[in-house]
Amino acid sequence: MAAVLDNNKESTNFALQAASLNKRLSANAAVSNISLNLQRGEVLGLLGLNGAGKTTTLRMLSGVLVPDSGTVSIDGFSLSDQPLQARSRLGYLPDQPPLYDDLRVNEYLILAGKIRGLRGKQLQERQSTVIEQCMLGPVVGKHIGALSKGYKQRVGLAQALIHEPALLLLDEPSNGLDPQQLEGMRTLISDVAVTSAVILSTHLLSEAQAICNRVAIIHEGHLVTDQASTGEDLERIFQGAIQ
Amino acid sequence: MITTIAHLESRRLLRNMQTWVMVAIMAALFGYLFLKQLESFLVVQETLAAQDHPIGLSGFMSVRYLEPLCLAFTLVAPLFAMRSFSEEYRQQTFALWQSSPVSASALVTGKFLGVFTVLAMLIALACGMLFIMKFYVAIDIPLMLSAALGLILCTATCTACGIYFSTLTHNSLIAIVASLALLLFSWLLGSANFASLPVQFLKDLSIANHLHGFFQGYIQTKDIAFFVLSIALFLGLSIIKIDALRHTGQ
Repeated sequence: MAAVLDNNKESTNFALQAASLNKRLSANAAVSNISLNLQRGEVLGLLGLNGAGKTTTLRMLSGVLVPDSGTVSIDGFSLSDQPLQARSRLGYLPDQPPLYDDLRVNEYLILAGKIRGLRGKQLQERQSTVIEQCMLGPVVGKHIGALSKGYKQRVGLAQALIHEPALLLLDEPSNGLDPQQLEGMRTLISDVAVTSAVILSTHLLSEAQAICNRVAIIHEGHLVTDQASTGEDLERIFQGAIQ
Repeated sequence: MITTIAHLESRRLLRNMQTWVMVAIMAALFGYLFLKQLESFLVVQETLAAQDHPIGLSGFMSVRYLEPLCLAFTLVAPLFAMRSFSEEYRQQTFALWQSSPVSASALVTGKFLGVFTVLAMLIALACGMLFIMKFYVAIDIPLMLSAALGLILCTATCTACGIYFSTLTHNSLIAIVASLALLLFSWLLGSANFASLPVQFLKDLSIANHLHGFFQGYIQTKDIAFFVLSIALFLGLSIIKIDALRHTGQ
């Protein structure tokens, strides 16, 4: 079955192809004509003021929200035509991590792996790997509700990584992390980006500059800048884009 | 996938203290009702025996013990189902399912089965008390099985109704009030006296009207069809609502 489904995959090197995405949720919340292509190895920083449309864009790319028009393909699978195949190739960490407080960390990661199709030895191996990657060893047997905000954020990241997604979408991943954890998160994202494409939304320009090799700026629902992060003054680019 | 979701749902329910409080209340109700009706049977046993077609212990307990429990399960099933989706919305955990390769039908079916599994344990407890009598007196097993089927179908329908209302709101309390209102209205329809013919069909929508046969030992296809279609309707509406959430973003 999987082989048959894979035959329907569009031939592409892109982990993400999004074309002309439009979404209107209310009078004030709208995203217009967003197009993004991303290859494995790229880390795209999605920048913008509060309410610019970053979260709406990420929700459309993750399949949580269906765009009014436009198309999204994940690793060659269309989110509208082959949603299950497309969603099995992405990991998504929303701004509020989707965690069950009454589950233990290891139980939650097993659940996250199972709903992404992992089973048996493969699931155990991936669970061990993400526990190590996200430095969750000390809390693996604890209830999620009892964890600090930083640990919760890392559990959320672990669930997004457990199935080795082609595309990783992170909405404000540095929320609640202390400087040491922030450094660990940056290293982790760099490691993940070797085999995956990563999009992270952030309001911290320094964070985007440190991790991302490409930046896109959204302003009032429009993509105003999409360029390589060359190390030049990002604040100047950002101010110029939102003028 | 459905098994994974059902397992998660039942496990989370069983870890909730409210669930065990409800289980304790229900177990006490079963015990009280069982002993009270058994005692009643012993009192009226001789009077019943004098009738042309005397009702036996099985028939008596089926109608006087198991049938009233349907109303209890009508109240309890939505309480167990109310958190299924509304709590996911409220705690913002629903994004996990929306961004995962899980279809809306698998999610709704899994949650329904998870909640129903916990309720099925209560049904087993209620029916177990009757079946234990088999060690002491002769009981009519087919009649008991027919009554158990009625209880199962009624509970499954109420669970599906609770699941549906849970998909509609972030507030568990609103979900339970709405589902109880609909289910109790359906029970009341059975006892209403509709004089005018055009609304006579409303009686056919009553849960109570479709349950009597099961507890008297005769199972009718139309009664089974009513419950199966009701379950399918509520679960179908839930799937439509879950799919629609991707468009509205609520």
